[in-house]
Amino acid sequence: MHRREFIKSAAIAAAGFAIPHSIDTLFSTAGAFEKVDLAVAHGASPSKITRAAIDAMGGMKKFISRGDIVVIKPNMAWDRTPEQAANTNPEVVAEVVKMCYEVGAKKVKVFDRTVNDPRRCYVQSGIADAAKAAGAEVSYVDERKFRDMDIKGEAIKSWPLYTDIFEADKVINIPVAKHHGLAKLTMSMKNWMGVMGGSRRQIHQRLDESLVDLSMFIKPTLTILDAVRILIANGPQGGNLADVKKLDTVIVGIDQVAIDSFGATLFGMKGSELGYVKIADKRGIGTMDISKLKIRKISV
Amino acid sequence: MKNLRKISQGIFLLIFLFLFIQTESKGRDDLGYPVKIFLDFDPLILTTTVLSAHHAAKTFYLSIIAAGITLIFGRVFCGWICPLGTLNNIVSSFKKWRTSAVNREWYRVKYYILIFLLASSIFSLQLVGIADPISLLIRSLSVSIYPMFNYSVRAVFDSIYSSDIRGIVNVSEPIYSALKKTLLSFQQPFYIQSAFIGILFFLILGLNLVEKRFWCKYLCPLGALLGLFSRFSILKRSVSEECASCGACANVCQGGANPDKKEEWRDTECLYCWNCDDACPQNAVSFGFSREKVAASMDLGRRRVITSMAAGVVAVPLLRVNPLSKSEFIHARLIRPPGSLEEKEFLKRCVKCGECMKVCITNGLQPTVIEAGFEGIWSPILIPKIGYCEYRCTLCGQVCPTGAIKKLTLEEKVKVKIGLAMIDKGRCLPYAHSRPCIVCEEVCPTPKKAIWFEKAVVKDRRGKEVFVQQPRVDLDLCIGCGICEAKCPVVDSPAIYVTSIGESRSKDNRLLMDRY
Ligand code: SF4
Ligand code: SF4
Repeated sequence: MHRREFIKSAAIAAAGFAIPHSIDTLFSTAGAFEKVDLAVAHGASPSKITRAAIDAMGGMKKFISRGDIVVIKPNMAWDRTPEQAANTNPEVVAEVVKMCYEVGAKKVKVFDRTVNDPRRCYVQSGIADAAKAAGAEVSYVDERKFRDMDIKGEAIKSWPLYTDIFEADKVINIPVAKHHGLAKLTMSMKNWMGVMGGSRRQIHQRLDESLVDLSMFIKPTLTILDAVRILIANGPQGGNLADVKKLDTVIVGIDQVAIDSFGATLFGMKGSELGYVKIADKRGIGTMDISKLKIRKISV
Repeated sequence: MKNLRKISQGIFLLIFLFLFIQTESKGRDDLGYPVKIFLDFDPLILTTTVLSAHHAAKTFYLSIIAAGITLIFGRVFCGWICPLGTLNNIVSSFKKWRTSAVNREWYRVKYYILIFLLASSIFSLQLVGIADPISLLIRSLSVSIYPMFNYSVRAVFDSIYSSDIRGIVNVSEPIYSALKKTLLSFQQPFYIQSAFIGILFFLILGLNLVEKRFWCKYLCPLGALLGLFSRFSILKRSVSEECASCGACANVCQGGANPDKKEEWRDTECLYCWNCDDACPQNAVSFGFSREKVAASMDLGRRRVITSMAAGVVAVPLLRVNPLSKSEFIHARLIRPPGSLEEKEFLKRCVKCGECMKVCITNGLQPTVIEAGFEGIWSPILIPKIGYCEYRCTLCGQVCPTGAIKKLTLEEKVKVKIGLAMIDKGRCLPYAHSRPCIVCEEVCPTPKKAIWFEKAVVKDRRGKEVFVQQPRVDLDLCIGCGICEAKCPVVDSPAIYVTSIGESRSKDNRLLMDRY
């Protein structure tokens, strides 16, 4: 058992160092992977841990097929630099873009409906440059592309959402973990606010329910929680480097609830302390109880 | 010569328009282009700012160059460079001019305007931008013409997009996105007063149908100033004996310089367009360097000179005897851009060119109506409901030609208070309506948030207890950027709003006592 475990993680680590695909394909087809709920990778290089964590989940091939149009939704809502941890780490985003193309994605789109000026958010977050360099199509949100969608949720009956999300073959959510004044913490489920059109500021009146409604409606193929740097106070935009904690961690999974619940532990909290996680668990979107999850931890 | 001149005019107009369009954030801290360079070249702005504020912009030597060129070559700026002059030229050409130009003696008016402006600026009133052609052009384009252009183009493409007859969108969308990348602004700009400023501008252009380059001949104060310099220029026009006094030159003269009256050619009015040279059937006209005095003398009339001077002087108290000149009466909503000088000093420098409004990322900088008094009309005011001051943006200070808005580093900028936010408890959701809302706190950009919460359990109508966080403003931390006002869900009249009190630039407009 021990030995097998070791070989596997060694293979994963090696995959991180850009071993040709055929080898890690070999491993996965050989059934070397057991089903994992969450992969948590730790290490100094954001891109390497991202790759390692995705590989630990079975590799990008498991999620993205040849010819897919993929939407990647990072959090780049704020006019802040990567050190300030208000937006998703640009290296993490770029690495995911690359991996999508490696397995044959046709097109990878990256966008966010920002809170601060979009031009500044895209540039200052470092995401636009990094994602473009990796080949992604980075565009500003086009207000005309929001369509009223029947969400039929508890708090939100219908809302204009960004059509690109629904026209894509696959959606990858890449939030950053950080503090928030109302939600307490924001991670993957809150990140869907970035595809909402209209006057989304109203949803704060029933934030937790609204986030769950959205998360039921938008089903991402993969969720990658960026915890390379986390913001422990004065979120969601921070600005003071003293509020930033470097964790050098990336968490990958399919279950949004599980991810957010696990994410809470990074802040010394429990998933059950977050209203939206609790509601989501009750409504059966995912699993809040992380003791029930199979979590693989890797260091790169 | 005519073609050469047209090419030069075309090139400068294109440069001007290009720089105008580039006066827009690309997301980086700098614009990357010297977008205000035409204003830097303007000796009229330099002169009035030096007179009114005793201050010269760092790039003032550029306008010295422009003045120097005029001293050598005459008003070539007007004939060959000035973008407004070129536009006037273009509009003039819409009409066929048959009869010889009307011979009006109104050319003096522009000197009176100039004298008025200079006199008032000596007494610290800066009104030049209202009539300075470069300021006028940039302001009209920024606040009116360009928004109009954007609106129409967007409307066309939006309606194509929404109707999508036979997949025409496949064709129109690439065109639209190419336009968005080049000619269109990032988002549709909106300005108060855009109609008024636009009408004034169209009026100026329309005058060209009354007479060729009407504005340049009769009204332009910069033209007048350059005309004065032109008297000393050594490039002069001369007419040889061959002249048959046929009047062909008078028909084509752009400046009303009396080219047909041999000895009465007015060097101050000549735009050096070389039209007379081209038109002369006898080839009698030539331009050359000479020290000889060939031109008519200029007589403005002592009485009128004194009148316009006096008017300029009287304008100063006239525009200032309103309560706004008392610090206690400062308009609550007069929020100036970050880095703005203290109000009096600010007014001495701001030329109302609108560069700051054009560059403002959020469209929040707007031309004032009377919030700053008549004296400050069209100077910038931040209207947070329209757009807030982006925390890490320093662009307005970078483009202001006169230093009315100081150029700030990012570190300086984030410390500047432009006002303070106050909460209207009667409208705020958690206070007045027992509903959770934290939007203002969420968007507050200061590293330690200037908006904090008082946690409270309140009751709704049915007596059910509701947990809310009631926002409070930390007056020390608040910088007045207005993002809370801009994003407050109570949109019509936001439950949190910014007023100018506490602005760093003012010693009087204070609230907190710990500054004493
Ligand atoms: S403050 Fe604005 S309008 Fe006034 S001179 Fe500066 S840029 Fe022009
Ligand atoms: S955003 Fe407006 S309504 Fe909401 S808490 Fe702040 S002031 Fe009140």
